[in-house]
Amino acid sequence: MHMEPASFPFLSAILLSCIAGMFTILFIPEEKHRLIKQVSAVFSGICLLLTLYVFFAFNRRVGGMQFVENIPWIPSLGISYFNGVDGFSLPNLLLTGIVFFTGVLTMWELENRVKEYFALYFVLVAGVFGLFMSLDLFFIFVWYDVSLFPMYLLIAIWGTTRKEYGAMKLTLYLLAGSSLILPAIIFLWAKSGINTFSFVSLMHPGLFSPADQKFAFLLLFLGFGILAAVWPMHTWSPDGHVAAPHGVSMVHAGVLMKIGAFGVLRVAIMLCPLGWIYWAKLMAVLAVIGIIYGALVGLRQTDLKYVIGYSSVSHMGVVGLGLSTVTVEGLNGAVFQMFAHGIMTALLFSSVGYIYDRTHTKAIPELGGLSRIMPVASAFFILAALAGIGLPGLANFWGELLVFLAAFKVYPLFGVIAVVTLVVTALFMLRVVQKAFYGPQNPHFAGLKDLSPWLGTPRAILAAVLLILGLYPSLLFNVIRTASVPFMHGLPR
Amino acid sequence: MPGSPSHTLDLAAMIAATMLPLASCLVILIAARSRPRLCAALSIGSATIALVCSIALMALNSKMGAPIQFTTDFIASSGLNIGFGFLLDRLNLLMIVVVSSICFLVQVYSLGYMAGDSGFSRYYGFMSLFTWAMMSLSLSASLLQLYFFWELVGLSSYLLIGFWYEKFSATQAGKKAFIMTRAGDTAFFIGILVLFLHTGDLSIANLGSRAPLAHLSPSFLTLCALLIFGGIVGKSAQFPLLTWLPDAMEGPTPVSALLHSATMVAAGVYLFARLFPFFSLSAVAMSVFLAIGTISMLLASTMAMVSRDIKKVWAYSTISQLGFMIMALAAGGYFAGIFHLTTHAGFKALLFLCSGVFIHHFETNDVYELSRRGARRMLIPMVSMVLGAAALSGIPPLSGYFSKEAVMGSLAGLADPVWLAAGLTGVFLTAYYTFRLIFILLFPRKSEVSSAPSHESAPHTAPAMALPLIILATVTAVLGFFETPLKHFLENGMIPGIVTGVRVGAWPHMAALALALAGVALAWTEFGRKGAEQIGFIDRIPVLYRLFSERWYIDRFYALLVDLVVDRGLSRLCNLNDRKVIDGGIEGVCGATVESGKVTAVLQTGMVQYRLIVIFAVLALLSLYYYY
Amino acid sequence: MIAPFSHVLIVAGILFALGAFCAVVRRNLIMIVLGIEIMLNAASIVFVAASLHLNNLDGQSFVLFILAVAATEVSVGLAIIVYAFRRTGSFDPRNFNLLR
Repeated sequence: MHMEPASFPFLSAILLSCIAGMFTILFIPEEKHRLIKQVSAVFSGICLLLTLYVFFAFNRRVGGMQFVENIPWIPSLGISYFNGVDGFSLPNLLLTGIVFFTGVLTMWELENRVKEYFALYFVLVAGVFGLFMSLDLFFIFVWYDVSLFPMYLLIAIWGTTRKEYGAMKLTLYLLAGSSLILPAIIFLWAKSGINTFSFVSLMHPGLFSPADQKFAFLLLFLGFGILAAVWPMHTWSPDGHVAAPHGVSMVHAGVLMKIGAFGVLRVAIMLCPLGWIYWAKLMAVLAVIGIIYGALVGLRQTDLKYVIGYSSVSHMGVVGLGLSTVTVEGLNGAVFQMFAHGIMTALLFSSVGYIYDRTHTKAIPELGGLSRIMPVASAFFILAALAGIGLPGLANFWGELLVFLAAFKVYPLFGVIAVVTLVVTALFMLRVVQKAFYGPQNPHFAGLKDLSPWLGTPRAILAAVLLILGLYPSLLFNVIRTASVPFMHGLPR
Repeated sequence: MPGSPSHTLDLAAMIAATMLPLASCLVILIAARSRPRLCAALSIGSATIALVCSIALMALNSKMGAPIQFTTDFIASSGLNIGFGFLLDRLNLLMIVVVSSICFLVQVYSLGYMAGDSGFSRYYGFMSLFTWAMMSLSLSASLLQLYFFWELVGLSSYLLIGFWYEKFSATQAGKKAFIMTRAGDTAFFIGILVLFLHTGDLSIANLGSRAPLAHLSPSFLTLCALLIFGGIVGKSAQFPLLTWLPDAMEGPTPVSALLHSATMVAAGVYLFARLFPFFSLSAVAMSVFLAIGTISMLLASTMAMVSRDIKKVWAYSTISQLGFMIMALAAGGYFAGIFHLTTHAGFKALLFLCSGVFIHHFETNDVYELSRRGARRMLIPMVSMVLGAAALSGIPPLSGYFSKEAVMGSLAGLADPVWLAAGLTGVFLTAYYTFRLIFILLFPRKSEVSSAPSHESAPHTAPAMALPLIILATVTAVLGFFETPLKHFLENGMIPGIVTGVRVGAWPHMAALALALAGVALAWTEFGRKGAEQIGFIDRIPVLYRLFSERWYIDRFYALLVDLVVDRGLSRLCNLNDRKVIDGGIEGVCGATVESGKVTAVLQTGMVQYRLIVIFAVLALLSLYYYY
Repeated sequence: MIAPFSHVLIVAGILFALGAFCAVVRRNLIMIVLGIEIMLNAASIVFVAASLHLNNLDGQSFVLFILAVAATEVSVGLAIIVYAFRRTGSFDPRNFNLLR
C-alpha cells in the first residue's frame, strides 16, 4: 500500500483541537454558558476546517494512505501511535467534522450543566476522530471505548425519554461488542507472529490462514456489527436515539453507527478478506432482513425519534448489503451511503431537536400543522426525509443506487427485496411528514417562532451537503475509489 | 458532432432551458419567499426563456438528421460509467415545445388563479422545480438520468398536490400519488438495474438502435420491458395503479392542468415512445401493454360517467386518453400515440384551465352546483370549454378528431378486431361523458336556476386567466391541420424499423366519428334536451353506479392491502418481534443475570463464623487431597 | 527433648482444633477472639517444637513475633468489640452483617 507521510501532523492536530477544546471548557467558570458555547463552536469549527483541508488536500490520483504519522509507543508489544487516512476513512472523517460542528450549534440553547455537556461531547468526538484515523488495532480498540464512556453519561444526564434505560442498554450492547472485538484483535496479534498491532503490517496477504480469518472475521463482524445496528442486534439503537439529547443523537446516529460499519470494513474485511468472502452470504441475509424489518417497524412508531431510529436500522442495512456484495460498486456504495446517511440523520435529529425544544413533544399525533408555524424548520425535516426515501438529487440516492446495483449483480433476490422496501420507507416517512408537519395548525403551538438565522445555520450546512452530493456525487466517489479499487484488485480469489 | 457552431448554440439553448428554472426554483425557495411578485416574475421569466429556447431549437433543427447528443461521465465509480447529458432528436424537440409552452401558459394563468394565496411564492418555487425536472426529463440522454428526473417530477407532483397542506384530503392525496407512482417506479428502477447489468449501457440512443440488444434472449427482453413499463403504469396512472390521479385533483387547478393532464402524466407515454424500438423487440410485452392501455381506458371512462366533480371527470378522462395513447403505441402506431399526446396536452390543459376559472369564481367543484349558479354566463371559459370538449370527443375539425382517427387507424391495423372494438367503445363513452358534463353546465334546470342571484352581472374573467384560454383554444382548433407536417417531421429520419400505420380502409374512421356523434346524441337526450331529467342511464342501474363511483373498488383493495397486510400484518408482527422476542430476549438475559446474582447472594449472610467454617473445610479438604 | 516430636504435634493439633471449634461455634465475639488466640498458640507450640527438632532458631523468633502480633491483635480486636458492644449492646456476631 502506498504510504505518504504527513508534512504537518494534521490528523493529530484534529485530535488535539478536540482535547484542547475540552480542557479550555474545563477552565471556564460554570455559569458562563455563552462563553462555553462560543469556545465549543470555535474549537469544533477548527476541527471542521482541518477535516475539510485534509479532505481536499488528499491526493486523489495517488490514493493509498496519506497524512501518515507513526510514533512507536510500546515497542515491546508492537503498539504505536499510527495515524493515516485513506479513501475509506476520509469520508467518515469529514462526516465527523461536519456533524461535530453542527451538533455544537444544534445544542446552542442548552441551559442545563452546559460545561459538563460540552466537555463530555468533546471527549466523545475525540474518540470518534481517533478511531477513524487510527491504523493501530490497539488504538482502534482504545478509541472505541473512549467514545463509549461519555455516551453513557451524555444520555443518562441530558436525555429525555427513559434515559437511564436507553443509556444502560446502549452501554451494555456496546460493551458486549467490545468484548468480542478485543479477543479478536488479540487473536490476530498472536496469530500473526510478528508482534505488531499495526494495521498496515497485518494487512499483508497470506499472514493469516483461511481458518483463522474465518474465525476472526466472525468475531469482528459481530462485535462491530452491534455498533452498526445489524439485525437482530439493533434494538439498542432506536432506544438510544430516542433517549439521547439532540446533539448526541446526531453524533450517535450520524457517526457512532458508522464506526460499526467502518470497523467491519477496516478491521474485519481488510484484515480477513477470506473470512469476508466466506461469511458474505450471512452478512447479506442479515442486512436484507434489517432493511425490510427496520422499515416495517418504523411504520408503526408514534414517536418522531423512534421513526428516525428505525429508519436508521433500515438504512444501515443498505450499508451492510453493500459491504456483503464483495464488489467495488458495493464498497463504494456502502461508504457513500455511510456518509449520506450520517448527514441525513443528523439533519433529521437536528430539526427534531429544534421542534422538540419548542413544542416539548415528540409524539407524532400531538404535533401537526408545523409547516404553517415553522416553515423553515419543517422544510429541513422534509428535505432530510426525502433524502431518506432515496430521492434523486439528494445524496442518499447515489449510495443506494450503487449498493442495489451490486446487490443485483450478486444476490438478485435480495436486490429486489431491498428495492421494494423503498416503497415502505417512502410510506412511513411521508406519513410522518403528513401527520407532524401538514394538517391544520395546532393551537397550542400558535406562538412558536421559526428558526432564527443562527440556529438555521447548522441545519442549512447539513442540507447543503445533502444537495451538493446529490447533484455532484463524484466529489466523494473519487475519494472512495482510491481505496476500494486497489483493495478489490489485490483480493485473493 | 459537438463542436460546430450550430451545435454549440443547441447546447447553450438546452442548458438555458433546463438550468434557468432550477436557478429560479432555488432562488425563490431560499431567498425570495417574502416577495411574491419577484417570485412570480422569476418563475415566469425562466419559463419564458425555456419556451423561447425550445422554439429556437425546433427552428434550428427542423431538418435534423441524426440525433444530437452531448454527454459527460457523471458518476465515475469504476464499473459504473453513466453518461449524463442531453439527447436531442425529433421526438423530444416536439416534447419540449409542448412542455415549455404549457408550463408558460399555466404559470401565466396562475397569476390570476393563485393571486392572494399565502403560499404564492412557494407555489412558483415548486412550479419552477417542475419545469426544470420536466424539461430535463425530456432531454435526458440516458435511462438513469431519465429516472432521476422522473422521480423529481414525482416530487413536484407530491408537493403541488399537497400544496394546501392544511387540508387533510390534499396531503392524503399527495402521499397516495407519491406512494403509488413509487410502486411503479420500483419496477422501473429494477428494470434499469437489470438492463444495465446485462448490457452495460443505459444510453437512450443506443437502446434505440437495437444493436446492443440483439444478443439478449427474448424472455429477458420481455422481462426488462415489463419492468420498465411498471414506471409508465405508475406515472401515467394506468391500470392497476390508476386511482391516484383523480385524488390528485386536490391540488390547485393549474397544477392539475399542467402536471396531471398535459405533461407529467404524459411522461409515461413519452417514455414509451422514447424506448419504442426497445419495447417493440418483445411482442409479448407489447400485447401486455395493449391490454393494460385498453383496460385503463375503459375503466376510467366508466368512472367518468358517474362523477359529479368537474375536475374528477377530466381526471378520469385523462387516464382514459393516456390509455388511448398507450394502445396506439402498443399497436405500433408511433406517430398516432405521440400526436394524440400533443393534441391532448393542448385540449386537456384547456379544459382544466376553463374549469379552474369556474372553480376560482364559484368555489365549488360540483357540476350541478356550477350549473345552477350560472357558469354558462362566463363567456370566454364556457366557449373554450365547449371547444375543448368537442376536441376531446373527437368532433371535426378540432385537433382531437385527427389524433383520435390516427389512433383508430393504428388499432385497425391489428389482426385481432377486439382492440378496435374496445377503442371504438372508448370513443363513444368519451363523447358521452364529456357532453354529459357540458350539457349539465349549459342547461341548468329551470327550477334550480331561480335561486341563482341575478345581480352577479356577467362574471368577469381576469385577463391573466383569459389569455391562456384563448391561446389554447386557438391551438386546439388549428393543431389538427398540422397532422401531415408533424407526421413527416417525426417519422422522417426516425429510428428504422418502425411500423408506420398499416393502411386500412376508411371505415374505422367513419365508425369512430359516428360513435362520437352517437355519444353526444345520447348525452343530449339525457341531459341536454328540454325536459330531460339529467339522469344518466348508468344512474338508473344501482349496481353499476356503485361500481363506477367506487372506482371498481380498486381503492378499497389498496387500502385493505396496506392496512391489513402491511400495517396490521407485517409491521405489527415485526414490531411485536422487536419488543417481545429481541428485547424480551435481551431483557431475559439481563434478568437472568440479576436473578442469579440474587441466588448466589443468599450465600452471603455476613456471618464471620460461616466463612471460617468454609475456610477450614477447604483447608481440610486441600490437605487431604495433597496428603493422598 | 523428653517428649517425642509427634506427641507435641498431636497436642498442638488438638489445641488448634479446639480453638477452631471455639471460633466457629460460639456466638460471642469475645469467645471468637479467644478461639483465634488459641489457634495462634497452637501454631506457636508447633514452631517451638520444630525449632528444637530441627535445631534452627528461626522457629523461636517466629514465636516471639506471633506473641507480639497476638498482643496487638487482641488489643485492637477487643477495642473494636467493646465499641461494637457500646453501639449495639450485643456480642452476637449475627447482628454485625451490615457489609452483607
